[in-house]
Amino acid sequence: MHMLTNLMAQQTIWQLPEGSRVLLATLIVLGAFVLILGLVPVLQTLPPRGRRAIIVTVTFLAGLFFAAEFFLPVDWTAIFPKDDPKRNFLTPAIQPAQNVLQIIGALALGLGTFGLVRLHLRNAVQRRAQWGYSIVLLVSFVVMATLSILNTLAEKEIVERGPVLKRAFSILFDYTLVQLDAAMFSLIAFYIFSAAYRAFRIRSIEASILMFTAMLVMIGVVPLGAFISYTLLGLPEGASPEGANFLTQLEHSIGLPKIADWVLTQLNAPAQRAIEFGVGIGGLAMAIRLWLSLERGVT
Amino acid sequence: MQARTQTLWQRILGIDRRWLYLILFVNIVTFLVAPIRMPASVSPPVQKFHDEIEKLQPGDLVMISSNWSASTLAENQPQLEAVITHLMRKQARFTIISIEAQSRDISYRLAERVTKEKGYQYGEQWAHFGFVPNLTVAIKGMVTDLPGTIKQDVRGTEVSKLPVVQGVKSLSDYKMIIDVTPSGTVPIWISYSPKNVSILYCPTSVMAAEAYTYLDSGQIKGMITGAKGAQEYEQLLTVVGLGTRFMNAISFSHVLIIVFILLGNFAMFMNRLQQRREG
Amino acid sequence: MDWLLEFLPRNLDRLSVWIGVLCTLAIYSLLYRENPVYRFFEHMYIGLAAGYSLGPLGVDILYRYWIEPIWIQGYWAWAFVVPYGMYLYFIFSERYGWISRIVIGTLIGASAGLFFQEFSSRYLPQLNSTLQKPLWVSDANPDMTYGMMINNILFVVILLSVLTYFTFSYEQRGPVKRVAIWGRWFLMIGLGAIFGNTVMARMALLIGRIYYLLNDWLMIRVGGG
Repeated sequence: MHMLTNLMAQQTIWQLPEGSRVLLATLIVLGAFVLILGLVPVLQTLPPRGRRAIIVTVTFLAGLFFAAEFFLPVDWTAIFPKDDPKRNFLTPAIQPAQNVLQIIGALALGLGTFGLVRLHLRNAVQRRAQWGYSIVLLVSFVVMATLSILNTLAEKEIVERGPVLKRAFSILFDYTLVQLDAAMFSLIAFYIFSAAYRAFRIRSIEASILMFTAMLVMIGVVPLGAFISYTLLGLPEGASPEGANFLTQLEHSIGLPKIADWVLTQLNAPAQRAIEFGVGIGGLAMAIRLWLSLERGVT
Repeated sequence: MQARTQTLWQRILGIDRRWLYLILFVNIVTFLVAPIRMPASVSPPVQKFHDEIEKLQPGDLVMISSNWSASTLAENQPQLEAVITHLMRKQARFTIISIEAQSRDISYRLAERVTKEKGYQYGEQWAHFGFVPNLTVAIKGMVTDLPGTIKQDVRGTEVSKLPVVQGVKSLSDYKMIIDVTPSGTVPIWISYSPKNVSILYCPTSVMAAEAYTYLDSGQIKGMITGAKGAQEYEQLLTVVGLGTRFMNAISFSHVLIIVFILLGNFAMFMNRLQQRREG
Repeated sequence: MDWLLEFLPRNLDRLSVWIGVLCTLAIYSLLYRENPVYRFFEHMYIGLAAGYSLGPLGVDILYRYWIEPIWIQGYWAWAFVVPYGMYLYFIFSERYGWISRIVIGTLIGASAGLFFQEFSSRYLPQLNSTLQKPLWVSDANPDMTYGMMINNILFVVILLSVLTYFTFSYEQRGPVKRVAIWGRWFLMIGLGAIFGNTVMARMALLIGRIYYLLNDWLMIRVGGG
């Protein structure tokens, strides 16, 4: 890997000459598409075991790289004298690996958009139920995609940001998308209120504990809790003076904000930590199973 | 056949949900408009947050991870505004990165507006690194080679040419990471960022309860919880922002919910008692 | 009269605010009942959100990490990354769908390989923090008070009882079952805290919207806080 990264640093092999760079780059990209997508019929001829072998191998190698980079000790200057003693020989490859995964991640995010557009395009073409709304969605999608791409290119000064683009993007983004997004999620408040009134019933010890804690936190953390404790009830605010007697210390500790903070840090935190431990151990077991392709249904 | 008349308790239990929505709406409007301002009792996590930023020296470099979209505007916007205001007061340099597509534009426009008001120059004192979909590998990459990982800022300038990060090779050169987020991204920062960089957390209230374990272990040095945390932080900074403006309505909406939960339980209890007497 | 003149959409800025309000009220119309206006704006929202994402994905990522390195800097080896990533789109094909698993395997393998570092950096410090909590006052901890001691003991007791509750490898009986029941009660405290915070979060989002309607649209001074 060290020799490979050194080789990659030699620009003569890996970098196209400046003169015909655009043409060569275009040809190479087209060639890459033809080659990689041309592999599909070849891959299709593989038997199921062969297919699984490829998937398992790719999964294992991808995980091996990051796991090895983490586990291998640093300071390989005994073997590679010019290396940085604070990292191992795999560390320089992290950055190009990062770039690859960002590109694949972006394409994976685009998968959702592709699926959505495909579904609504089909609805519209086949005039399925409520296909009119699919047209609305597709028109919004095309307009916003165009403006978003142009706006992002304009930010990088690749295209010019005219007043029409600026205003159109602002109206569609700031005054439409942002407002719709915020309004959609704010509906949940109404539903929580309605559900809390209709469904939150004290029928067991557990429900009582949950409700009591929720109410304590809801009042204790907001300024109303401080107002009730320190203004209405006249409890002293802040920490008790040093050497104060037990009663004074108690007076300084029973304000609603103090109790809410104590509940959150001394009662809630250990419960959350226990959940974290469970999730961590489960996550480690699942990570190993996924890395070694032991999980059925994935490969 | 005559319909059985509903008792008072049955009517209370069966109230149309649209009346509940209206009551909530009127409650919020009333307490938003009411000219009451109750000061907050600053909680220890917010005080720690404030104290950590107070330790910054002029020129110290801070990474802000802004991952929120318009869906959590009301909680994360006051947090980010207050954080940027405080960083500018300390004359710290900062860079912003987003892992959510919408957040890229929202945080960029917000930062442009707030920094313009205080005379902070883009590129000199702050910059926005744009959007990366995969935070884990981005952090790993930034720890190894930050300019090579980020490559360009939102304006297309090469990171190595930005004065604000001149000479910066890795995330280790940063003093602090501040994660403003509605999702569980702080464990990723905790897991992969260098140990010499302190982490501060600005979650929405939903995510806050789970983060107390990180506060206890010292993996995060301070936390601002949602809009109420933003109000406490604004109080420490002596500014009046959105957090301060919202808290009145939040306080009394909580009172309303508690009253109605108790009312619902009381009505259920009384209804059962009545049915037992009749039956 | 001045207020009315300012209120009406007489310029583009003001019209933009009215558009935002129209969007908000259209979504809120669902609260009364399901209606075509809500459906229209809902589909528009989904279309806008999906369309918007193409800008950052296409330009911030693909341009930054793929187009520029190849066409402008000339590093031709990157050419193979996008075609490889396009294998993901075979997921829509019944016959060739398995090919997408090659790329999914890359992503899963990378995440799994990265998890070892996450385990050591995220969970082990928490274990360390728990084990380092002093459980009695002694000369080794001069700053420790009896209050802190009680808090630490309580912390460890709650942690162990909640962990006991989650142990499903064997049947819980006798004292273990009693401890697990206590663990469930302590867990309810954590869930109650989460519920309280969730209510606060959602209320804040609604208050933000109503603030926009009052302050930006109706221009009513919202001074409470």
